[in-house]
Amino acid sequence: MRTMADYETRTRRFTRAEYERLIDLGVFQPSEDIELIGGELMVAEPQGAPHYTAIRKTARALEAAFGPGWDVRTQGPIGLDDESEPEPDVAVVPGAPDDYARAHPSRPVLTVEVAESSLALDRQHKGSLYARAGLPDYWVLNLIDRVLEVYREPVADSTAPFGWRYGRGEVLDASARVVPLAAPGSSIPVSQLLP
Amino acid sequence: MRRWTRHEYERLMDHGFLDEDDPVELLDGLLLVKEPQHRRHRTAVLLVARAVERAFGEGWFVQTQSPIILDDRSEPEPDVCVVRGSPRDYVDAHPMRPALIVEIAQTGLRLARGRKAAAYARARIADYWIVNLIDRVLEVHREPARPGPARRHWGYAAIETLGADATITPLAAPSAGIRVADLLP
Repeated sequence: MRTMADYETRTRRFTRAEYERLIDLGVFQPSEDIELIGGELMVAEPQGAPHYTAIRKTARALEAAFGPGWDVRTQGPIGLDDESEPEPDVAVVPGAPDDYARAHPSRPVLTVEVAESSLALDRQHKGSLYARAGLPDYWVLNLIDRVLEVYREPVADSTAPFGWRYGRGEVLDASARVVPLAAPGSSIPVSQLLP
Repeated sequence: MRRWTRHEYERLMDHGFLDEDDPVELLDGLLLVKEPQHRRHRTAVLLVARAVERAFGEGWFVQTQSPIILDDRSEPEPDVCVVRGSPRDYVDAHPMRPALIVEIAQTGLRLARGRKAAAYARARIADYWIVNLIDRVLEVHREPARPGPARRHWGYAAIETLGADATITPLAAPSAGIRVADLLP
């Protein structure tokens, strides 16, 4: 796990504005899968079949749970803060696709990362970043242990990578059900998310 | 983390993302932030430059904190390096194979011993010195060694630590002798 204070890995940070300019200038290859996380350009893990299947299943389940008035985005950019433009595997935002034709959404009501090799990064690093941005509902679909980790209630914590973490974390196995904070009338079997 | 090629690094400069004053160097594809320049660091750079200039003499020149090219993903700016020829030989391209590289390290000691040593060894830099300002010693790294059963990364097989009262002879200037004390601020 990289830490910010470690001199060994202190690299030049980019702002979100710079990142978007780099994309416009065509500096990156179109095939590249990168995200801006806390000013650092991170390369996403290659997607295996289970990973992608989990994304599709989760997106479908969330579309059914949230219904009209919400847009379920898969691996789309989120304008999280001045130095972060992550592309979470699944994110639920209010409204319709056209609402975000000019600027990326910034505050998903639910953010989901599907994790295999990236488990530690998704839990600590991205968890801290999402908590700092105040994202209320963050799920890590853990394919290694076949469980859903549900993180809520961001709290300040100076020992976390970005100074925040989630105060509550719950682990749900395949037999449990989960209720999104922003769709309180729904209930999703965890087994419907797992590949 | 995303790695940059040297070509992309140059595009970043062309488009104004980085300029000459940015304390950044490209090492193994990473845009590393350089150690802040404390007064002692600066003094050591000047002392080392003067000492190696004298030791190498004619036919060589010394450059400080200027770019060299190691490979497609590395364009570092070592504190001091000694290059064959004259500055005019490198109007069109940065030097590639200095005969000696010296880094001055205080907060950046781990970086100098780790990632930088690996990159220099991989580029077969035969003589790499670290002026360690914390312990006031000179660390002399020689014999680049490839990864194998004994080591995970490229590195140097022969590392010697010299105190202030020792004398060091650069590999490429075998008749010269430099007092380590003359390199320390």
